[in-house]
Amino acid sequence: MAEDQSSGQADEIKTVPYRGGSFEIRPLGIISPFVFIGLIAFWEFGSRTGFISGLVLPSPTEVFTAFRHAVCASVRFAATADHRLGLRQCARDNCRTCNRSFFCGAGRFVAIGFSHISNPENRPVTIVYYLVWHWRRIEGRNNPVILFGTFFPTVIATYGGVDNVDRNLIRMGQSFGLSWSSIVRKIIFPGALPAILSGCRISASIAIILLVAAEMIGAEFGIGAYILLAGSLFATDQLIAGVAVLSVLGLCFAWVIGRAEKYFLRWRA
Amino acid sequence: MDLRLNNISHAYEELQVLKNIDLDIRQSEIVCIVGPSGCGKSTLLRLIGGLEQPQVGEVQQIGEPPPGSLNPLTYIFQDFALLPWRTVKGNVSLALEDHDLGSKERGRVIDDVLRRTGLAEFGDALPRQLSGGMKQRVAIARALSVRPAVMLMDEPLSALDSQTRELLMGDLIDLWMNEGFTACYVTHNLAEAVRLGHRIVVLSRRPGTCR
Ligand SMILES: Nc1ncnc2c1ncn2[C@@H]1O[C@H](COP(=O)(O)OP(=O)(O)O)[C@@H](O)[C@H]1O
Ligand SMILES: [Mg+2]
Repeated sequence: MAEDQSSGQADEIKTVPYRGGSFEIRPLGIISPFVFIGLIAFWEFGSRTGFISGLVLPSPTEVFTAFRHAVCASVRFAATADHRLGLRQCARDNCRTCNRSFFCGAGRFVAIGFSHISNPENRPVTIVYYLVWHWRRIEGRNNPVILFGTFFPTVIATYGGVDNVDRNLIRMGQSFGLSWSSIVRKIIFPGALPAILSGCRISASIAIILLVAAEMIGAEFGIGAYILLAGSLFATDQLIAGVAVLSVLGLCFAWVIGRAEKYFLRWRA
Repeated sequence: MDLRLNNISHAYEELQVLKNIDLDIRQSEIVCIVGPSGCGKSTLLRLIGGLEQPQVGEVQQIGEPPPGSLNPLTYIFQDFALLPWRTVKGNVSLALEDHDLGSKERGRVIDDVLRRTGLAEFGDALPRQLSGGMKQRVAIARALSVRPAVMLMDEPLSALDSQTRELLMGDLIDLWMNEGFTACYVTHNLAEAVRLGHRIVVLSRRPGTCR
């Protein structure tokens, strides 16, 4: 193979640029604990500076203090219950001593909590009840409950959707030299959209359930309270009317999401 | 612009896929790479286009790409790699949107490549409304729109039935007659390679070496 160059002058030689990378699947390894710590730090910072309202979201240190007090209480409870020497002393002193027996108390706390939850009569009801009721008392509105209940299904669905985007399409994007943001906007997001929308469907149904559950427990007004009242008065006509309103609400959500799917996913058969 | 592969070797974990590959791809010539399935042809093509980096050796680009070439090394994939949510026009447009063309100029380029590939009437169709052969022609149109210096084709006809393959083969030959593009054409079909290629490189079973 002769090395002749068709053009007269010596041609520039350079290595072909690397265009792959960025979207590879790789284990996160050390990143996740750091993200977790960063998130907690941000939360603490937000609470201290006040842009996260302490009513909605108490700071991590407050939460930890509350946890310690609960542990102390359970230690005291344990000590008075079985008159053991070391623990009785702990009961007389307060938090200073508690610190020492913190870890034995923590175990006790978990055990008590667990026995409470593991009682089959208590389990599902108490968890939902305490969650919903406490949030309601704190906030007076249903927002946080519904926020938390709907946030995670959406996130998990989105994650799954992004994970499922055809790798070949991403590679195609890279081979045409598209920028990172173009690949995300034009390939990954539309590819994940079906999963995101079905996540929304799940979130919508959870939102309705939580809304009604919250109203049944703490509210004077609302569909949940209306149904509960009708049920206790054995007013079946009102009861069924309430249930019908709920169904219509659900159908409305489903219709809106159905329309969105029809519009955004019209490229599917 | 020519490409030169210098002593390329590549392995995935323990698996040695390519070993000591030397290859020149010169301007206006179609180099066919044939070899059995799994011998590392696609891997070699990914290395040539810079989608992966070879562990040993390097791929060199000799001389400047012709002026006006937006994406010198452009792929045509076996599975077409069209975005199902974009129309034919939209799919061609995708390759152009990251470049500094006005929307008018972009529209002109799109119309031009669709006409050259015989897709002028299908500009607003979605990929699912097209047959396999048409989809691959869209992919070819998309590749042409960025005026590549070298086209890297990974078994572009393998997903098609034999009749369509015949037709598209004819189209590619016509295209080469008219425009004289440079290409590296990967296939496991020797007949295709003989018909299209100026030069044929045979890759042996793993680890792939040139013959
Ligand atoms: N990303 C990868 N990771 C691990 N192994 C791979 C990867 N890509 C290809 N291989 C392996 O390399 C070998 C060659 O693959 P490929 O280049 O696709 O062959 P061909 O295109 O010639 O059929 C195969 O055995 C395949 O399993
Ligand atoms: Mg292959």
